[in-house]
Amino acid sequence: MSDAMAVSSAGAPPALTAPHRPAAYRRAGAALATEWIKLRSLRSMRLTPLLGAAASILVSVSAVRHNAAGWAQLDPVQKARFEPLYLNFNFVALGILLFGVLGALVATNEYGSGLIRATLTATPQRGLVLTAKAVVGGLVAFTVAAVITFPAFFAGQAILSGDHAPHLSLGDHHVLLHLLGIVYYMTAAGLIGLFTGVLVRSAAAAITSMFGLLLVLPLLADKITPDAVTRHTVPYLLLNLGDEMVHQHAGLSPGAAVAGLAAWVLVSAAAAALSLRVRDA
Amino acid sequence: MSAQAGTVPRRNIRLNSMLGSRLLATARSEWIKFRSVRSGPLALAATALTVVAGAWLLAAGNRSSYLAASPAGQAAFDPVFTVLQGIELAQLFVGALGVLTVTGEYSSGLIRGTFMATPQRAQVLALKALVFTAVVWACCTATSFAAFFLGQAVLAPAKHVAIGDPGVLAAVLGGGLYLALVGLLGLFIGVLVRRTPAALAALFCLLIVLPILFVSIIPGKITQNLGEYMPGQAGEQAFQLLHGGAYSLGPWPGLGVLAGYAAVAAAAAFALILRRDA
Repeated sequence: MSDAMAVSSAGAPPALTAPHRPAAYRRAGAALATEWIKLRSLRSMRLTPLLGAAASILVSVSAVRHNAAGWAQLDPVQKARFEPLYLNFNFVALGILLFGVLGALVATNEYGSGLIRATLTATPQRGLVLTAKAVVGGLVAFTVAAVITFPAFFAGQAILSGDHAPHLSLGDHHVLLHLLGIVYYMTAAGLIGLFTGVLVRSAAAAITSMFGLLLVLPLLADKITPDAVTRHTVPYLLLNLGDEMVHQHAGLSPGAAVAGLAAWVLVSAAAAALSLRVRDA
Repeated sequence: MSAQAGTVPRRNIRLNSMLGSRLLATARSEWIKFRSVRSGPLALAATALTVVAGAWLLAAGNRSSYLAASPAGQAAFDPVFTVLQGIELAQLFVGALGVLTVTGEYSSGLIRGTFMATPQRAQVLALKALVFTAVVWACCTATSFAAFFLGQAVLAPAKHVAIGDPGVLAAVLGGGLYLALVGLLGLFIGVLVRRTPAALAALFCLLIVLPILFVSIIPGKITQNLGEYMPGQAGEQAFQLLHGGAYSLGPWPGLGVLAGYAAVAAAAAFALILRRDA
């Protein structure tokens, strides 16, 4: 008996000294696959993005139709201020809430159900888990954003041209860049929501933060008369950075708006990574 | 016979005192649940901080622009609404607290224990709403007064008002009432929807998203008129001093519209809490 054991253990050493360790790229692939499965099996991730996208396009079309119908009655000053891009995309101020809230839910659902403990047991590399979550979440947000932005643009501009109001085409000066900027803004809102969710863990706190950060706080801050401090801070609040994407006359330079959004994403990512690293799940 | 005749009133007394002690016990258990959950004190502290710090920032930020404004601009300046506007942000915290007071109990499963202990569900909900309203109203009214006095002190060189001036006391009280009603609306929406994310989304859409949608994004005659009767837009009249703008419901009718939304949600909540399984 002991001999048999000795033999079997003698046969084992190669396997013990060189345990099966998956290559880094395979582990990353598995982490991505895991996050994708978790994301698509979440009930709120199936119907809500579709309904949200449909509602966004509907709101955009009705706003454009209302303004296009009134074009002929405008006086010259109002005609000079007519912005075909802005009318088409003023819904984005509300549309980003969809991204922020769903991003937050991707993270907080996992904490709420306790699944996060299984996830971190299977993949103890917490940085990898967060990265995989951000990559999958970001790609989904990017896809939904593009599915909203481009159809809304084509439908809206077709209505404007039908009513003989000023309209844009994709090839016009900087129009494509503006549309990509809107997609980028929506994707960034989704990522900020996801990182906030990892940071605060509770769905209620994360959703409340998203409504506050993305909409209410900037609206309130805009009412303060610009002084030495607010002149250089208020334009970098999320809603105001997003405004740069939908307005053709920019307050900030486009580069500053893109960098400002990137800074929001990176700072929230760093806070989420730190929190995930130092706190128990 | 005479003994039987004697027992009837005694049993009535016992029933009455049982009802009284049950109401008291239910109220006490609702209070314990309210204060022992971290979100309660946290949300009220966030509300106080937001409204008071907001009053300071908004007063300081609008003082210089008032002094530089034209006479028409100065006449349209509302010294009460300007400093109490932080309530627009703080309503998120109070509303979320109202939602969580109910949905937290559903998601933890505690609601089954609550209903087992007190099968009179309408009483549970009524006392929950009562305890919540009393605590939140007291805190938010204190917050509103603190923000008002701080804001008027900071506003000083520009147009400012004293608490005794016409309409001012009502407006400051209105700030606390507005927040308490928003919290109550959230509480009843929580009963209707039960799930935290969905209930929060529903409340915030009603309070913030729909008014912006109606007023700024799809402007038109119908949507403009609808905008005036949205709960937030109407209720905000309560802490405004000047009512000359597009929305002129006035403070008490405005607050009444908000209370009407809360009442409709309450009626639906009482009907459903009796019919549905917990």
